Amino acid sequence: MRIDGVGTVEGDLSAGDFDCNGMTKIRGGLIASEADIDGLFTVDGHLSAGRAKIDGKAKVKGSVKADVIAVHGMFDVNGDCEIEDFRIEGAFDVKGLLNAGKLDVLMHGYGKAREIGGERIRVRRRASGVWSRLIAWVLPRYSPELRTAFVEGDDVDLEYTEAEVVRGGRVVIGKGCKIGLVEY
Amino acid sequence: MEQELISKKDLLDEKGISYGQLYRWKRKRLIPEDWFIRKSTFTGQETFFPKALILARVDKIMNMKEDLSLDELADQLSPSFPDYELRKADVLKRNIVSHIVLDRFASEEEEEVVYTFDKLLYFYVVDKLLLAGEMSMEEGERLLGMLREHFPKVEGKPCDLVFIRKMGVSSFALLTVPAELVFESGVKVVARIPLAQCVEELKERIMQA
Repeated sequence: MRIDGVGTVEGDLSAGDFDCNGMTKIRGGLIASEADIDGLFTVDGHLSAGRAKIDGKAKVKGSVKADVIAVHGMFDVNGDCEIEDFRIEGAFDVKGLLNAGKLDVLMHGYGKAREIGGERIRVRRRASGVWSRLIAWVLPRYSPELRTAFVEGDDVDLEYTEAEVVRGGRVVIGKGCKIGLVEY
Repeated sequence: MEQELISKKDLLDEKGISYGQLYRWKRKRLIPEDWFIRKSTFTGQETFFPKALILARVDKIMNMKEDLSLDELADQLSPSFPDYELRKADVLKRNIVSHIVLDRFASEEEEEVVYTFDKLLYFYVVDKLLLAGEMSMEEGERLLGMLREHFPKVEGKPCDLVFIRKMGVSSFALLTVPAELVFESGVKVVARIPLAQCVEELKERIMQA
């Protein structure tokens, strides 16, 4: 299944391989074994995928369940995320629980989740150039940081994260973190 | 018989499991979403679980992990009603439900009558409360009627059975969880049983050949 250009699907979509480029809107849920998403992408329902690759801006109003997701860009979800292997470079806002087997975050922009839990969790921020350091000094609120209530995992490695509680087996709190309570 | 809760921290300590494992089991649907109960404590928000249910479930997962993959395990543990049906005679013979309950509430039915799982569940719940000595036969009869009439309406949502008594007058309720119930003084909560637990127990009883 392939959509190029501006496409709107009225209802649910279930596909083996799903490929979209441009502006795609699905007014229902999407189920796909493989999804290759480029551009602006909105799902009104739930996203359920085997493997998904997203380059651009994706918004899911429901929840997300997938084996592997790799995102370059923006990823906004209103519900919960359950992903075995989640790699994201860019920005994300998960209004529910981000439950990932392996979570690898490289923030260029904001990172937000209500809570984060999983096995291996790693958060980094992209190396800063002169401009971003200037912005961070003048407008500290605009500095990309991961904001969440808790982070719980077996192996937790954080930088530039603001959280009330971090709990885990092995916990590394790196630079730029503001953590209320750490338990390990 | 109050609903006893255990904190996530205590659970991890007691069972020797890790945060990651718990999240993984949640993703695999081995632990139902509604067993995760959020409460505010003085240290902030904490997660609790129904104690009996979670301890039994964790044991089951740890035991069966060797033989089954997590996905196969998830199929086995799904909360939907199994297709079990038993004839009345077998129910008696295998002591799934005590004969007291069947004599009193199902006496006019013949031995060959086949009970579906939901009917067995109602008998089982009444049996459980009677055996615990917390309920009278008359109350049992009302409970049975109430379950038959209202349990199907709950439509598979997880719920607790709440049994209260005030000044000698008793009442039953089905409460979809998670919810907190606070009563006026003088009301005694005789029992609060998660029906999911009864479903599990009954399944186990029936499966023990």
